Amino acid sequence: MPRAVRGVLIECDPSVKAIILKYDEERHDYIVEDLDDDRHLVIKESQLQNLKIRLGKELDEKVMQPEESESE
Amino acid sequence: MNAVDATEHYEARADDPSPSLLTIILDTNPHAWATLEDSLPLATAVANLLVFIDAHLACNYANEVAVVASHTHKAAWLYPSHEQQQQQEQQQQQPHQNAPKHIRTDGDGDVAMKGETQGKAQPVNKYRPFRLVEEQVTRNLRHLLESTDLADVKASSSTMMAGALTLALSHINRRGIAWADAHGGDLDTAQEGASSTRLKDSATSTSTSSTGEGLQSRILVLSVSSSTDSAHQYIPIMNAIFACQRLHIPIDICKLRGDAVFLQQAADATRGIYMALAHPSGLLQYLLMAFLPDQRSRRHLVLPTRVDVDFRAACFCHRRVVDIGFVCSICLSIFCEPPENGDCLTCGTRLDLADYGTKPAVLARKKKKKKLRPNGAAAADTPTPVGTPGP
Amino acid sequence: MAATSSRPFEYLEGLPGTVFYKLYQQPSTALAIFRRMLPDLAKCFVMALLYLKDPLPAADLEIWVKPESKKERDNALSILGRLHILSNTTMADNVRAYMVTNPFASSLRQALTGAGETQSFGEISQADEDRPVSVAALDEYARRQWESVLGYMVGTSGLGEQQNPVNLSKGVKQLLQAGHLVEIRDRRVEITQDGFAFVLQDVNRQVWHIVILYVESAEAIGMDSVEVLSFLFLLSSLELGQSYEKRNLTSNQLRTLTDLADFGIVYQESPDATRFYPTRLATTLTSDSSALNNPISGAIAGPPGTGAGKEGSGFIIIETNYRLYAYTSSPLQISLIALFTTLKYRFPNLITGKITRQSVRRAIEMGITADQIISYLSNHAHPQMRKHNILRSTSNKAGMPPTILPPTVVDQIRLWQLERDRVKATPGFLFKDFVSLAEYEAPCRYAEEIGVLVWKSDRKRMFFVTRHEQVAAFLRSRANRPMQ
Repeated sequence: MPRAVRGVLIECDPSVKAIILKYDEERHDYIVEDLDDDRHLVIKESQLQNLKIRLGKELDEKVMQPEESESE
Repeated sequence: MNAVDATEHYEARADDPSPSLLTIILDTNPHAWATLEDSLPLATAVANLLVFIDAHLACNYANEVAVVASHTHKAAWLYPSHEQQQQQEQQQQQPHQNAPKHIRTDGDGDVAMKGETQGKAQPVNKYRPFRLVEEQVTRNLRHLLESTDLADVKASSSTMMAGALTLALSHINRRGIAWADAHGGDLDTAQEGASSTRLKDSATSTSTSSTGEGLQSRILVLSVSSSTDSAHQYIPIMNAIFACQRLHIPIDICKLRGDAVFLQQAADATRGIYMALAHPSGLLQYLLMAFLPDQRSRRHLVLPTRVDVDFRAACFCHRRVVDIGFVCSICLSIFCEPPENGDCLTCGTRLDLADYGTKPAVLARKKKKKKLRPNGAAAADTPTPVGTPGP
Repeated sequence: MAATSSRPFEYLEGLPGTVFYKLYQQPSTALAIFRRMLPDLAKCFVMALLYLKDPLPAADLEIWVKPESKKERDNALSILGRLHILSNTTMADNVRAYMVTNPFASSLRQALTGAGETQSFGEISQADEDRPVSVAALDEYARRQWESVLGYMVGTSGLGEQQNPVNLSKGVKQLLQAGHLVEIRDRRVEITQDGFAFVLQDVNRQVWHIVILYVESAEAIGMDSVEVLSFLFLLSSLELGQSYEKRNLTSNQLRTLTDLADFGIVYQESPDATRFYPTRLATTLTSDSSALNNPISGAIAGPPGTGAGKEGSGFIIIETNYRLYAYTSSPLQISLIALFTTLKYRFPNLITGKITRQSVRRAIEMGITADQIISYLSNHAHPQMRKHNILRSTSNKAGMPPTILPPTVVDQIRLWQLERDRVKATPGFLFKDFVSLAEYEAPCRYAEEIGVLVWKSDRKRMFFVTRHEQVAAFLRSRANRPMQ
């Protein structure tokens, strides 16, 4: 019998998906369904904000930002 | 906080559809309406038309409408009329001095509406833009009919379709410019659409410019007269049609009676809707269903058109509707018989008729005489088939 | 599709059916909803069905729409259903058919023909006035009020030199707070992320946002939301420059009127006056925002003092090297521009600055989107930029969409946003555990047709939708059928 599950579909590139999978491994509290391709997964609605904050912080640290001069 | 989340960056933007300008040409030929008296009197038709106009205005706040009457001896504005525009301008500056005037005037226009609403409408209960259009159309129409005397009606049994089309086109042009002016950036689209089409083949360009964002204009002709009576207007009508074709203004034809030869061509050339109503009494439903959708919606709808278009032309010398005639090889003027001395009446070129009329040899005849029934594709480009060899 | 994803639509959609029944009693409401909330195709359907005596068989409607526009058709039908405008019926011989539901159909017909007794479109004040209010004065009033609301949010008072400061009423401030557009911290007004997004929207959407907030808060204090809503729709069908009688309004409506006057949506000389004037903010509520483009947003956006004149409303020049020059001295405009620009110099009538990666990043982190920045810039572009572009575009290749802003700047702002966009989240429902491919395919195709499908995988027999009600109903109806 088919059923419907509430959740949030996340579309992202494979690298970000890998990060999310890593978070989930800690306590298995993010993912509702791993959709098995490189770019999609369904997570719990309640965890969305939390995930965004964590991802934002992590990406800020790890992604290199090009230098920019504010002069002239 | 939301920095990693792109969701809201892609939220569907409510893109504002550009408004459309509907220009209605109402054929008010009394001869024709007299024959329609039983099925659809003019008053009922106008009442239906007014509901249709309201429906059009209801679709978008910025939608505009214009109504032209094509009468026996002249074409006249029903809406917007010139005085009214001035009045509106004044009204915008001093709103309250004119306000009571509006209220007083609305008594005279209601006759035509009675067919529809049975009884006098509460003026206060009508959306004001609707009421203004209604009042003006009925007032101007009444004025037009009152000012028509017997001599005018007797003098001609046709209708001034060419004049009406030209009025409609000039109004569309003016509103298009005004609209583009008021909406700055969109002027480019409008201009670009117009200029680019000149370069392109007319068959391919229709698809490209329909995405333009300018004011979308179209013309609806409510036709009751026969075109054969107005064959003398053949040239101006065709010119108006080609102008519409170039500007991508569809001409929709709603035919209540008569045969609308040139108008069939108009709808065909401009990709408008052509409908001959079998039951004129159901006018409103026809109008709302077939003629209300604007260009944007039409992309999604299956539209009534006519397959067997009557491509006959009228000759330049006697204004007869012909299907076989002579064509000047220089200016492509059409004649029903060889012009006198073989001089073209339009451009004056001396045309060599060789042995025409004297037992023609098959070859010679083939050279001079051209069939005037072109195929569909050629007709979309020019009024007459091209390619008569030199004299 | 027109305005279907807009906030007013979402709000209306959430209302129970009985509310719709009451709302549609008013011709002005029916007209306003028809005009503002429906996509083009839905409007065609409604109008085609409006004067039909019998319901239109669904098959006939399907033939009318081109096969390749199936998606648009289903979308239109779904919206009409959600707004309780179109209903499904079955005709005698078990044929599915559509008809326009009743209070809506009769009200819309009334609006078109002007029949009926209800004074649905307001009562124009007949009495002569000693001091009529001109349109220009109304525009000026609306501009001043609206700008002061925005100014309050952005906190321009800190920048000083506020000309004729307007005292905002307590109600306005409470409403902004209740809508989470501002927050009060230590007695200081601080704008929220929603607030930032709000101030950069065009005026029409801002007004709708406020209006919906108002209706929601009205409910909370026990006012009938139907009454308030239909009054708002009534306001939107009034004519600018006319004054209207107040004597037929209910006490709740009078209260609404006074509250809306604080926002500049209506004008009345005093709360006790016997008449009121709608301003352009009200009369263009049901229009598309472009219709309101010029006089008011220009006036609101433009440097104060120039008023609602006809001169071009833009004042911002951007060069291809990302430098920005804004001819304004309005504290509101300056603080808006400062949201996404690194400001450099300030002169009496001009500020200059530069759009940088950091400044755009900062804006995006505050919740402002690249599209909002771009639309703000192009809405307020200096006439010189428009002119320059028209000249260029005539010599340009046909078919290229003309832009007012330098394309390189537009692209770069988008790119700066994109480099931070790593994730796209769509709340909804995952359908899974289908036994066979056949069982999976039908609802999946159905979901696609009604436009709720976001993702699917044939291999895993799963699909993700934004709304589950219709799909679930579809599944149930299939389950009830005997196995094929």
